[in-house]
Amino acid sequence: MGEFQFGRILAYLPDLLRGVGVTLQLGLISASLGLVLGLGLALMKFSRHPLAYWPAYVYVEFFRTTPPLVQIVWLYYGLPLITGWDLGAFGSAAVALGLNIGAFYSEIFRAGLAGVHRTQWQASRVLGLGLTDTLRYVVLPQAIRNVLPPMGTTTIYLIKDTALASAIGTPELLRIGQLISVETFRPVETLTIVAILYFTVTYPVALFVEWLERRFRIARA
Amino acid sequence: MEAPLIVIDKLVKRYGAHTVLDDVDLDVQTGQALVVIGPSGSGKSTLLRCIAALEPIQRGSIRIDGKLAAKGEEDAGGPPNTASLRELRQRVGMVFQQFNLFPHLTVLENITLAPRRVRGMTREAASSLAIELLRKVGLEEKRDVYPERLSGGQQQRAAIARALAMQPKVMLFDEVTSALDPELVGEVLRTMRQLAEQGMTMLVVTHEMGFARDVADDVIFMDKGKIVERGAPQTIFESPKETRTRAFLERLLDREGRRD
Repeated sequence: MGEFQFGRILAYLPDLLRGVGVTLQLGLISASLGLVLGLGLALMKFSRHPLAYWPAYVYVEFFRTTPPLVQIVWLYYGLPLITGWDLGAFGSAAVALGLNIGAFYSEIFRAGLAGVHRTQWQASRVLGLGLTDTLRYVVLPQAIRNVLPPMGTTTIYLIKDTALASAIGTPELLRIGQLISVETFRPVETLTIVAILYFTVTYPVALFVEWLERRFRIARA
Repeated sequence: MEAPLIVIDKLVKRYGAHTVLDDVDLDVQTGQALVVIGPSGSGKSTLLRCIAALEPIQRGSIRIDGKLAAKGEEDAGGPPNTASLRELRQRVGMVFQQFNLFPHLTVLENITLAPRRVRGMTREAASSLAIELLRKVGLEEKRDVYPERLSGGQQQRAAIARALAMQPKVMLFDEVTSALDPELVGEVLRTMRQLAEQGMTMLVVTHEMGFARDVADDVIFMDKGKIVERGAPQTIFESPKETRTRAFLERLLDREGRRD
């Protein structure tokens, strides 16, 4: 009683680092899925065609207004019941987080694309550039500058949200921490170290986004 | 006389209930430089945007180089498909009031993008074409500069070079000097005059009456969505047939007189 015992927890460091690995994988897979999804949804919401706009609208509102924890649990327990598809704990968590963050990314992309003046689209059209070329060479390179700061923040949220995967037993960082707490009866020390380990994952993301911002600024000067 | 390069037949353009272009007929011969004048809201910019296929049209048709470029949505058959529109756009170059250069690309990259992506030119071929065009508009030393480092006049000349790089058959100029400081207007008009002298077919919407007088083969006066009068500059400026043309020119001269 009455004193911290970090030493005992540090003995579990190899387990904790394996948890970091799983957290990283969850973050990487769900962020990639979310980016592709988010860009697609943003473009759909720009369309005037109701069959493109409305599905995207419903998707975004559904996924950003319901708790990601429920989405994870639902995909893990509910999906196999309905479709017979079992993604497993890791798969369910990665897909659910990706679907969820895609809704948030899409709103960021949408704001970024809207920030590119419509005359840039017109200038591209008059030159004969198609939709793909216009996006790739004209619009997205300009949108990315508006998009990077909120994208970084959202991605850091996502990495911390991967902790929700512990609810279905995915052996990521928080789950490992919980197991160690139970074994050692030392939740404060364990969770402190877990928090420091989360920081070692999220802070580089923040630095990376800052580096990207600088790079895209310089490309213009 | 050979077939006109542009044939516009009974063009109707509406925004909602508001008719912007009302039954417009227009022929442009290859090599002609036409200047379109008229009060604001007369539909002259919209006419250019319809020719560039930036706006759908409700009725009538536009033919460029013998091929159907636009057809009224309300007419039988509907508008031409996307593939033929893209082909069309390679025959029409357009320059805007606000330049609309791509701010994240250098001058050279602005010019080479479309030739490389649309015409499939190699980087080397597109670059040497771009350098030749930059020399033509007097900007060869600015090739690696980003647009924000250029003056308005330089940006507009770069935009002209960018449009020319697609080797269009006709160039559309939509009030290209209206956003420029007065002392920069001359350099852009000089570039346009050169183009006209080299035989480029041009449709120019402008308030620069001096340019219209010196360069235009024909001047077109538009008002309320209609072409009121078309004729040689001398005729239009000195003995216009229509009272509306005369009234517009008098207002314009009056304003210019007061400005001095």
